[in-house]
Order: sequence, then structure tokens, then C-alpha cells
Amino acid sequence: MNKRFLMKAALGLSLALGLPLAAHAEETLAKVKAAGVMKVGTETAFAPFDFIDETGAHVGLNVDMFEEIGKELGVKIEWVTLPWDGVLPGLEAGQFDMVAGPATITKARVERYRFTVPIAEATVALLKQASDDSIQKPEDIAGKLVGAGKATAQLAQVQEYGKTLEGGVETREYVGFNEAYADLAAGRIVAVANSLPNIAYVAQQQPDTFAVVKPAFGQPSYFGFIGTKKPDDASLMDAVDAAILKMKKDGRMEKMQEKWFGTTFDTPDTVPEPKV
Amino acid sequence: MTLDFGLMLDKMPEILSGLWVTLWMWVVSTILGAALGFLVATARRYGPAAVNWFLKLCVEILRGTPFLVQLFLLYFGGPFVGLRLEPVPAGLIGLTIYASAYFSEIFRAGFQAVPRGHVEAAECVGLSRTQILRRIIAPEMTMLVLPQCVNMAIILIKETAILSIITVPEMTMVIGAIGSQQYAFVDAMFLLAIFYWVLVEICGFLGRLAEARLSKFRFAVS
Amino acid sequence: MSFRLFELMLWAAGYTVVLSAISIAIGLIIGLLVCAAKLSSARALSLPATLFISFFRGVPLLVQLLLIYNLLPAVGIMVPSVVAAVVGLSLCTAAYQAENLRGGFNSVPRGLIEAADMVGLSPWQQLTRIRAPIALRLTLPALVNEAILILKASSLVSVVGVIELTRMAQNLAASTYKPLLFYAVAGGFYLVICWTVAGGGALAERLTKAGRA
Repeated sequence: MNKRFLMKAALGLSLALGLPLAAHAEETLAKVKAAGVMKVGTETAFAPFDFIDETGAHVGLNVDMFEEIGKELGVKIEWVTLPWDGVLPGLEAGQFDMVAGPATITKARVERYRFTVPIAEATVALLKQASDDSIQKPEDIAGKLVGAGKATAQLAQVQEYGKTLEGGVETREYVGFNEAYADLAAGRIVAVANSLPNIAYVAQQQPDTFAVVKPAFGQPSYFGFIGTKKPDDASLMDAVDAAILKMKKDGRMEKMQEKWFGTTFDTPDTVPEPKV
Repeated sequence: MTLDFGLMLDKMPEILSGLWVTLWMWVVSTILGAALGFLVATARRYGPAAVNWFLKLCVEILRGTPFLVQLFLLYFGGPFVGLRLEPVPAGLIGLTIYASAYFSEIFRAGFQAVPRGHVEAAECVGLSRTQILRRIIAPEMTMLVLPQCVNMAIILIKETAILSIITVPEMTMVIGAIGSQQYAFVDAMFLLAIFYWVLVEICGFLGRLAEARLSKFRFAVS
Repeated sequence: MSFRLFELMLWAAGYTVVLSAISIAIGLIIGLLVCAAKLSSARALSLPATLFISFFRGVPLLVQLLLIYNLLPAVGIMVPSVVAAVVGLSLCTAAYQAENLRGGFNSVPRGLIEAADMVGLSPWQQLTRIRAPIALRLTLPALVNEAILILKASSLVSVVGVIELTRMAQNLAASTYKPLLFYAVAGGFYLVICWTVAGGGALAERLTKAGRA
């Protein structure tokens, strides 16, 4: 144990000094197929993509889609669930092969990660209390307190948007969107900024409590699944892309979108140039 | 995965404000928790049996459940019974109530450790109940319970980290956010660990110093 | 709350108990080693032990868990969340248990050791037959206390994605919009578990006359 502690101290220092860590090379797709298991990191607080339903089961578009992706690749899916701010660090640390999420395709993330082809729209809008008449359009949040998930693109976008409003916008960062919704219901914040498919689902589930503020204030954007840019991971990401495109073509994707969102999205077949 | 120390400097105001929130919430909840704990211990010793029984139940419930669950109950459950607290007051109240349960047990043991003879002697010379409490029991107890109180204060510094989970903008929340923004989570956590470690060591050192100073009174109770 | 959800909470409570029990057992073993190192006259052993104890008692468990969870893979150790959680809990409790054990060893009456010397027991025999059993018996109350602390502290492993009692309550509170109910039920389970351990500890103390030399 002493050794472990010293190693840890030394490691922390080496990290702090920016010394590169030795990485062992192994081709990921081959590794995943050999193991018969693909590990996917996600957060189970992002309905309807990924959540725990009222019977306690892990469900959502992610679960259905990865079920199909797993079939295409001939592997089983093993879910690793974490709070969102731990998911991307976990991917970088190699805790799992890729991330479901999904995550908004943003300029900053495209620099650092490889996205799959888009699976849904991600344009950001606001959720408010159904009884709150003071917010009729997005600009009405000026000078008020708005919540979003920690380390999310939606948080960054509402902060950017706030800068364009007179009086700005104050934001509060939550471990997960569920806590932000709870605080909105409790009236601690006036709105939650999240992507339209998410808040449309929440408002539909709890119509007496929540309502969507229309129109969406964010730039048009899309959701994709995420992998690393490591050369070893390229083959896996290619295979997942191929599987998603196949599902788009044969109508499976449309059926899933219909099931979880009550609508379908027109998404491009390649990762588009992000506007946010 | 490296922290950019230039960027860290830019974030200095945020880091300092996080430090400030951690420190003041810690100090205030420790003082209020100790005061409330003392009241509870006193009420249990001198109050009617029903009060003692009720407070004992409260203390045991608080000591038998995790702080995180208490905090969730207060913060997320509260609004359902009309108690809507902002993160900072919720954290402060939660931490104070949590601390008071442990402090009350420390003081209760302290009461029991004050020799009966001292109290009897004070009664003989005609001191009133409050006088006995203030002049005899309180000072003697202070010395007996000081080490445990320091220990509890140290536990409470560490518990403040949990407040980040209900979005109190203290050190863990601030540094964690910077770490994930810069994709240098491990470095950030390492810095954070060192920060708490130093804080706890300083607190322990001051506690031992205070004990050494007070120990000249030790003969009074031994 | 439907029976299905109660069952899930019950299952998660069981998970909390197993997770804590494993961590306490591993922590006891590491704690014994750290204690031995700390009591050693060799500075090369006692200094790292002192640092170990000081670090793991000086850093919030939440921060330790986040650090270990992200650090292990960075040094090439790929483990599931639950292993990272057990490592974090074990190291933390080891530091406390080492201190408790040290107190126990230091309280073994000198006379007993002198007597053991007289009848010609080797140092190893003295340790295994006299000092260790007495020290363990002396520290049983502290061990029970530590077990209760770890049971409660295990609620924090929810932050590294382990679905134990607290995390389950969080999930179900979110999906049913009934936080009051689920956190109260979680609290109730913790109470039952902690009170059972405390009661069991008190019974064991009475039976073994532990806590006395």
C-alpha cells in the first residue's frame, strides 16, 4: 500500500507536470469482438435517450439503438453508468469503449472526440413551469436563474445566449438534468435549458408541471454518440457508423425515434460542421 | 490531460470564492452544530424523560443515516412539504443538524465524565443549577470534550465536499468544474485532495495546540 | 410505492451491505499492515504509514473516490466502477482501522508481554497468541463503529456510478417524481442496517467481553 500511495503521488505529479503516460496499443474493434462485449459509458438521467423508468428499468433510445448496434457488430453491450461530468473523462481514461449519452456535436468536442453520424436533433430550448406566465419567449429569462447539467453543451449555449440578453442570465449547474427539473418544479430556478427532444418528452410526461418555451433559442445542432480519436478506436467507430447508417436506411431508426419522441428527425448522414 | 496553470490563474477569482464558501460554511456549521448539540445534550440530561427519549430518537436517526441522504431529503424532498431552500441555506442547515447529533453525543459523554463529587460540592456551597452548569460543568467539560470536538470539526470540513452535490459552489464544485472544462479531471482532483489534506492537517495541529494549552488544568478533573 | 420498486430498493440495500462488508474486510487487512508499518522502528516503514494514514483521513471520501476512479485507468488499471469504489472505501477505512489497531496494540498490558517472555514465547508467538488477539478484542467496539461509518460513507460511491441504495433512490426519485418517499425509504433502510450492526456489535462485546484487556 505504501508503494501504491507513492506511485499515486508520483503519478499525480507526473500528470501535473504533463508527462505523457505510456499507452498500450491494441486495436479496439478486434478487442471488443474477441471479448464479445462492448462497454458503453452513459448517464441514466437524460430521458428519453437514457433513463431509469418508473419500474426501475434502464430504458431509452440509447438502449434500443445500442441493442441493434450490438447485433450488427455481433457483441453484447455492457452499460457503465456515471454522472455526466464523469462520462467524458471516463472515456478518455479508457473506462469504456465509447459513450452513448448522446452528446451535442459542438466545435469544442469535435476537436477532441470523434462523433458518430447524428442520431437526433439537439437544438436547445427552455423548459419552464407550466404555471409560470412570466416566461412566454426565450428572451424572458433575462436576469433570471436558469439551470442546466454540469459540463453539458446546453449549459454552454444558455450561457452564450445569456450574453446577448440585457441583464444576462444566471446559471446553476446540476449533476444531472433530473435534479434541474426537480428544482424547476420546486421553483428554485425559472427554466431549464436542454435539447428540444429531452424537454418535449419531460413536458409530455408531466404536462401539469412543465411546459416548453417556444421557439428553441439555440443554433440548430445534432446529437451523436462519442468515441475517441485514438487510431486504435477508428475501426470501432467506423463499424458503429456503418451500423447506424444501416438502421437509418432500413427504417429501424425511424421506428425508434417514433417510439421515444413521438416524431422523427431529419438528420444528415455525416457529422455536420457544428454551429455551436 | 494536464491542467493549464495559466488558465488556472484566470480562474483564480472562482477558486478563491469556492475556498471562501467552503471555509465559512464549515466554520458556521461547526459553531452552530456545537451550540445546538450542547442544547440537545443539556435538554436530554436535565429535561423530562419524554424529551430525553424524543431527542435520543432524533439523534439516533441522524447518526444512523448518511449525510448525503439527509441532504437529499432536505433539498429535494423539502419542497414537497413546503420547505423550499436555496442550496447554500439548505447545505448550512443540513450540515448543522447533522453535526449537532454528533456534538450532542460528545457533550453527553462529557456530562457523564464530570465527577459527581464536584457537582455535589458545588451544591453544598449553595450554587444554583445554572451556576453549576456554567461555572463547574461547562469548563471541566470543555477540556474533556475538546479533542473530540476538534475531531468532529475535521469530519465536518470533509463533509462540506458533499455539498457540491446539491450545487453549493464550494471548492469541490469549483475545482471539479474547472477540471472537466479543461479535460484534466485527475489533476484537478489531485489538487483538491491536497487542498483538503492541508486544511485538515492545519486544523488538527491547531487542535493539538489548544489541547496542550488547556492541559495545565487537567489536574482539576483527573 | 409498488412492490417491484420496494424490491429494487431492497436489492440495492443488499448491495450496500455487501459493498461495505467487502471494503471493511479488505480495509482491516490493509489496516493491520499499515499499523504494523507504523509501529515499526524502521523509519522507512513508519513514515509512509504515517503519510498514508494522514492522507486518507485528511481528504474527503468524495474526492478520494473521484480521484481513484479516474486515476486507476490513467495508470493502465482497467476496473469496473464497483472495484474502484471498493478500493476507495477500503483505503479510507484502512487508515482509520490502522489507527484503531495501533491504539489496541498500545493498550496491551506490559505485564502480559513480560510474562510471555518469561515462559519463552518467540516474538511471533507473542504476536499471534497474545498481542494480536488482545488488541483485536480491545478494538472490536471501534471496528463496529467503523463498520457503521463505512455503511453510511458507501452512499458516496453513487458518484462513480455504482448503483447502491442511495443511487437507486436517486434514480427512482427522478423517474417517479417522489423524492420525499424514496429518500425516506433509503434512510429507513440505512437505519435498519446501522442499528442491526450496532446491536450485533453490542451483543458480541457482551459475549466476548471485548473492549477489556
